[in-house]
Amino acid sequence: MILSIKDVTIKNKDNTIIDNVSLSIREGEWFALVGQSGSGKSMITQAIGQLLPSSLKVEGNIYLRDTDLLSLDKKEIRQVRGKRITYIFQNYLGSFTPFHTIEHHFKEYMRVQGLNDTKLQNERMIESLESVALSQHLLKRFPSQLSGGQLQRVSIALALLFSPDIVIADEMTTALDSVSGYKILELLKQRQKETNCTILFITHDWRHVRKYADRLAVMKDGQIIESGGKHRILDHPQHSYTKQLIKAAPLLRKQLPSGLDQEEIL
Amino acid sequence: MKAMTINIDQRKKTKWKKVIAITAIILVIVSLLYTFAYLRHDSNHVDMGNRLAGMSLEHPLGTDHLGRDMLTRIWIGAQYTIGYSALALLASLLIGVPIGLLSGYFKGMIDRVFMRSADAFLAFPDTIVAIVLAGLLGPGIGNLILAITLIKWVNYARLVRSTVLAESQKEYIWIAKMNGLSPRKIVSKHLFPHVIGSVLVMASLDFGKVILLISAFSYIGLGVQPPMPEWGAMLNELRPYFNSMPQLMLYPGLAIVIVVLLTNLLGDYLRDYFDVKKEGKV
Repeated sequence: MILSIKDVTIKNKDNTIIDNVSLSIREGEWFALVGQSGSGKSMITQAIGQLLPSSLKVEGNIYLRDTDLLSLDKKEIRQVRGKRITYIFQNYLGSFTPFHTIEHHFKEYMRVQGLNDTKLQNERMIESLESVALSQHLLKRFPSQLSGGQLQRVSIALALLFSPDIVIADEMTTALDSVSGYKILELLKQRQKETNCTILFITHDWRHVRKYADRLAVMKDGQIIESGGKHRILDHPQHSYTKQLIKAAPLLRKQLPSGLDQEEIL
Repeated sequence: MKAMTINIDQRKKTKWKKVIAITAIILVIVSLLYTFAYLRHDSNHVDMGNRLAGMSLEHPLGTDHLGRDMLTRIWIGAQYTIGYSALALLASLLIGVPIGLLSGYFKGMIDRVFMRSADAFLAFPDTIVAIVLAGLLGPGIGNLILAITLIKWVNYARLVRSTVLAESQKEYIWIAKMNGLSPRKIVSKHLFPHVIGSVLVMASLDFGKVILLISAFSYIGLGVQPPMPEWGAMLNELRPYFNSMPQLMLYPGLAIVIVVLLTNLLGDYLRDYFDVKKEGKV
């Protein structure tokens, strides 16, 4: 288990937002966390990096290998952030500081992580841009001059730069058109094969789950109602909500069938 | 096609403004430096035999009721008026911007303490604070600057705080955090550059107001004390001679108007400049 979330509860003053959630993610897998908006998916990912505002109280444990992330103080969590956990967000334009060039983003990140040699920095930068099929001309540009797909590629390059233990992709294709989204996910899949990193993939799109996930968990109203292997859940959902979700998702015949329709026919 | 024409026109207009504002400001600075380095008359030199003289080669703007050269006093007055305004503004920026950054970024207790104290300052109109301070500590330019600073920092703190609050919700701040950047770095490298544009615009617009405030208080005797040639104080000194020599009051008055207009123009230009973000300039 590379990341295990144990009995995590997140509360604010009045109510419980995340209720006793447990998850475990295996090394090198593509784990999908599915659920509709407001079900608390993103909140869990934020709890992992201690990004939640201080008004929210987090109980339970989140283990990254053997370190309990929630017990780390501010200095210690900074050691983990960026080196062992990285994020890719939905809002690609918002993920970059508007007045810094792409190069600046790379260099700042590398400096913070202790890579100060300029020559090494440049090599690393070009290499990682090539790995996401971008040319190095983009380095001198500002984020607003790149397309959404290009920016998400840069996000992937940045997220995998220091080969983290786990990459958290929070609805990373939602803001992209379906063709670019598809390309980005293919790229991420390919990069995952090459680097063998673990991906926690937050989504509400069943097509992506069908295609890429190894295992998944379904969330509703701050609780995990079902989790397990992709085929187990897609073909034999236990919970009525999961059944509903799978039914509601558009499905093309060519893709992996949900199994649910066949069950009904039989 | 029509939209395009309008666009070009607007650009020309901004360019115009920019040229006027920048040349005027350079002119002011150069002449300030000139008077600083080279003066034909002592601004405080009293020459009773030559009082209330009209224009002449020796005294291009004439002399005042004590026979002092008006032109020299106007230029020297510019140093005081603009210098003290800049000082008051700088002090408010130095207090307001860091407080806004801190309370916007860290929120919680720090934010509450700073913002409630800001509210307390905001409750008093600036004129009242200045008058009370002058009453308590005695009239003088130091106390006036203190009063202006006490009032003005609140605006900057609030502006910066609200911008920072909005920005720190954006993903790039999270990414910066997740990349392992320290709060100090995030605030200075990612938030401060974002804020500084709007702060500069506001400061340049405030500049005129502060000049007016200092002049107004000097006029009623609470600011710069005679014989210092501050423009507002000059207006006050020359008041009794308005009927016989109205131009004597006109000069410092015009000087105030011109400088205030110029700073407003500069503010407009700066606002346009920072409005385009980085996109248009690369």
